[in-house]
Amino acid sequence: MSFHTRLIRWWPCLALAASPVFAADSDVAQLSKDPKNWAMQAGSMNNQRYSELKQINSKNARNLQVAWTFSTGVLRGHEGGPLVIGDTMYLHSPFPNKVFAISLEDQSIRWKYEPKQDPTVIPVMCCDTVNRGLAYANGKIFLQQADTTLVALDARTGAELWKTKVGDPKIGETTTNAPHIFKDKLLTGISGGEFGVRGRIAAYDPNTGKLLWKAFSTGPDKDMLIDPSRTMTWTDGKMAPVGPDSSLKSWQGDQWKLGGGTTWGWYSYDPQLNLVYYGSGNPSTWNPRQRPGDNKWSMTIFARDLDTGVAKWVYQMTPHDEWDYDGVNEMILVDMKVKGQPRKALVHFDRNGFAYTMDRQSGELLVAEKYDPVVNWASHIDMKSGRPVVVAKYSTDKNGPDVNSKGICPSALGTKDQQPASYSPKTGLFYVPTNHVCMDYEPFQIEYTAGQPYVGSTLSMYPAPNSHGGMGNFIAWDASAGKIVWSKPEKFSVWSGALSTAGDVVFYGTLEGYIKAVDNSGKELWKFKTPSGIIGNVTTWEYKGKQYIGVLSGIGGWAGIGLAAGLTKGTEGLGAVGGYKDLVKYTELGGVLTVFALPDR
Amino acid sequence: MKRLLLLLPALLAAPVVARAHDYPTSGRVEYVLECMQKHDGKYEFLYKCSCVIDRIAEAMPYEDYVAMSTALRDQSLAGERGGAFRDPPSVRDMADRYKTIQANANQACHVQQR
Repeated sequence: MSFHTRLIRWWPCLALAASPVFAADSDVAQLSKDPKNWAMQAGSMNNQRYSELKQINSKNARNLQVAWTFSTGVLRGHEGGPLVIGDTMYLHSPFPNKVFAISLEDQSIRWKYEPKQDPTVIPVMCCDTVNRGLAYANGKIFLQQADTTLVALDARTGAELWKTKVGDPKIGETTTNAPHIFKDKLLTGISGGEFGVRGRIAAYDPNTGKLLWKAFSTGPDKDMLIDPSRTMTWTDGKMAPVGPDSSLKSWQGDQWKLGGGTTWGWYSYDPQLNLVYYGSGNPSTWNPRQRPGDNKWSMTIFARDLDTGVAKWVYQMTPHDEWDYDGVNEMILVDMKVKGQPRKALVHFDRNGFAYTMDRQSGELLVAEKYDPVVNWASHIDMKSGRPVVVAKYSTDKNGPDVNSKGICPSALGTKDQQPASYSPKTGLFYVPTNHVCMDYEPFQIEYTAGQPYVGSTLSMYPAPNSHGGMGNFIAWDASAGKIVWSKPEKFSVWSGALSTAGDVVFYGTLEGYIKAVDNSGKELWKFKTPSGIIGNVTTWEYKGKQYIGVLSGIGGWAGIGLAAGLTKGTEGLGAVGGYKDLVKYTELGGVLTVFALPDR
Repeated sequence: MKRLLLLLPALLAAPVVARAHDYPTSGRVEYVLECMQKHDGKYEFLYKCSCVIDRIAEAMPYEDYVAMSTALRDQSLAGERGGAFRDPPSVRDMADRYKTIQANANQACHVQQR
C-alpha cells in the first residue's frame, strides 16, 4: 500500500501523539464504513454482517480458491472471526486466547501476544473455551480473556497498555464475549449462567480501563440501572413503565442473587438514539421448580443509554425459562418497513425459536413468529401481552423434576445459538444459520456451591422428527411478514456466522467443515471443505484490489481438528518431501483461518 | 467382427476390479497427512495411510465419508455440542459404521489404530 493510502486510512491516529487518546469518538465506526476493512466483529455497529464488496459475485463465486491459511496453534472451538484494518489482520484464538497481528502482504506474524492464564478457569467454562474475538479502536486492540481479564494492547507492537479484571473465576465467572467499542466506551459482559453467576454488562474507558458503569440483569433497580417510572416494557399492547422492583418481584426470596442473566453474546449500537442493544441469558438453575416467578430480567432484550447505562426499554422473551433458551443472540438493527410502516427496527432470532421484530426506539413488539416450523414449546406469542403461550406437555416445570419431558423443540441449544445471522439491504432479507434439533429434558434438584456447575438437568438431543432428517437449516427470513422465504436443509446444525454481500452471495459454514456460497434464492454456488467443522463467522475484506473471504475452522477437541494445515517440526523426518521450514514460521498446528479469493486473471 | 466375438469370452472372464469412488485429491491427501501425523510422520505411513483411504473410498462415496467421519470426530466434543453427535441414533449409526470401515481398512493395511 502506498504511503499516501496508508496516511488516509490512518489519519485519525496520525493526528494524535504516540498513544492515541479518545476524543468524543473512536475511529472504528468510521473505519468500518470502508468496505475494504472489517473493523469490528459484527462488521458494523448495526450487526448486519453485510459487505458492499462485489468483486465476488453470484456468477464467479464458483471459482473461489484458497489464497492462504493461518493456523492458531490451539485445539479448541474457534468462534468469532478476524479483524482487518488496512494492511493488517488481527486474529484471536480460544483459550489461552492468543492474539496475532498478521501482515496481509505476506502473512508473516508482525507480533503475537499470549496471556498467562490460570488453567483452573477451564473447568468453570460450561461449553468449550471459546472466545468470540477482538475489538479495535484508536490504535488499540482489546481482548477479553477467559479468566475475565480485559486487556488493551498497542495495535502496532502488541505491548500491554492496561489491564483490568471484570469478574472472578472462583465464583464461576468467566468471559467468552468479544468486547465492543461504541463511541467512547468499551462494553463487555460476563459468562457463567451455569454457575449461578449474576449477569451484567459494564462500560469501561478504553484509554484507561476504568469502570464507568455496570448494569446487572437481575436484582434491585439501582443494581440494574432501571428507572421504575421511565424504563418501559411492552404491556397489554402498548409501552408502559416497568414499575418499582420489577426484577425482585419476579423471584422468590434471594434466588435472584444466583440469578444468571449473563451477557456473553453480541451487542449493537444506534449512534442517533445513543442506545446499546443486547440480550441476557438463562436464569440459574436449569431446574425451573427451584425459582418460581418470571425471573426478570433473564431472557430479555435490553436497550440502554450508552452514556449512563440506564435502561430505556426492556422486553422479556421467555419468562420463567424451563429450557435454557438464553436471550443473548445478536440484535440486528435495520431501518425497514414493517407491515407497511417505516420503522427503526431491531430483529432478533432467539434461542427459543421465535424471531422478534421490535421498534428499537420505543421498544414496541411488532412481529414474533417461529423461524423453524417444528418449534413447539409455545404455540405462539400473544402479541398483546408479549408472552409466549406455553404448551403444557412441553413444560418441564409442569411435568416436574425427575420426569423426562419428551419431544421438546427446539433443544436447549435453541433454533439458533450465538452464531450470528446476516441482513442484506439489497434483498431486504435475513440469512439465518439454524438448528433443527429437539430434545428430551429431565430436571433434578440441585444445591448451589460457588464455582461448581449449577445446572440441575440432563438432556438428550435428536434431529427434528417428521422432517428431512437433518439437524440444521440455512434460511432466508422476512422480518416484516414473519415468514421463512426459503430453507436449505443441512445434515448437521449450522453453527457458523453468516455473511451477505453486494455481489448477491451469502456465505456460511457447516460442521463437516464446508464453507458454502449460495445465491439470493438459496441455490448453492460453491462449497469448499476446510480441515475441521466451522463455528466461526464468515468475514470479507479487500486488499490491493482483491476481495477475500475468510473463516475460522476448528470445532474443538483433539478429534475435531483433523489435520489443520500444519506440519510441525516432528514431521521433519519427511525431509525428502521437503520445504516445511517456512511453514513453521507461518503456522502452528491447531484451528485454521482459511482465506479464499478469485484466481488471478 | 469375428475378432471381436473371439475376444468377448476373454473380456468376460477377466477379474472385476473394485471401483473406488471419486474423492477430491485434497480429500485423500488430508486423510493421509493426518494419519501420518498420528504415526510420528514416518515415511512408510505414506503408503499405509494411502492404502487405508483408498479402501475407505471403495466403501463409500465422498459425501458419505465426509458426513460419517464428522459424526465420529465430533462425538468427543465436550458438553452440549458433543451431545448433538452422541445422542441422536442416526448420528451414532453414522459414526459406528465409519468406525467399522476404518478399523477394517487399518487392519488390511497394517496401520495400528490411534
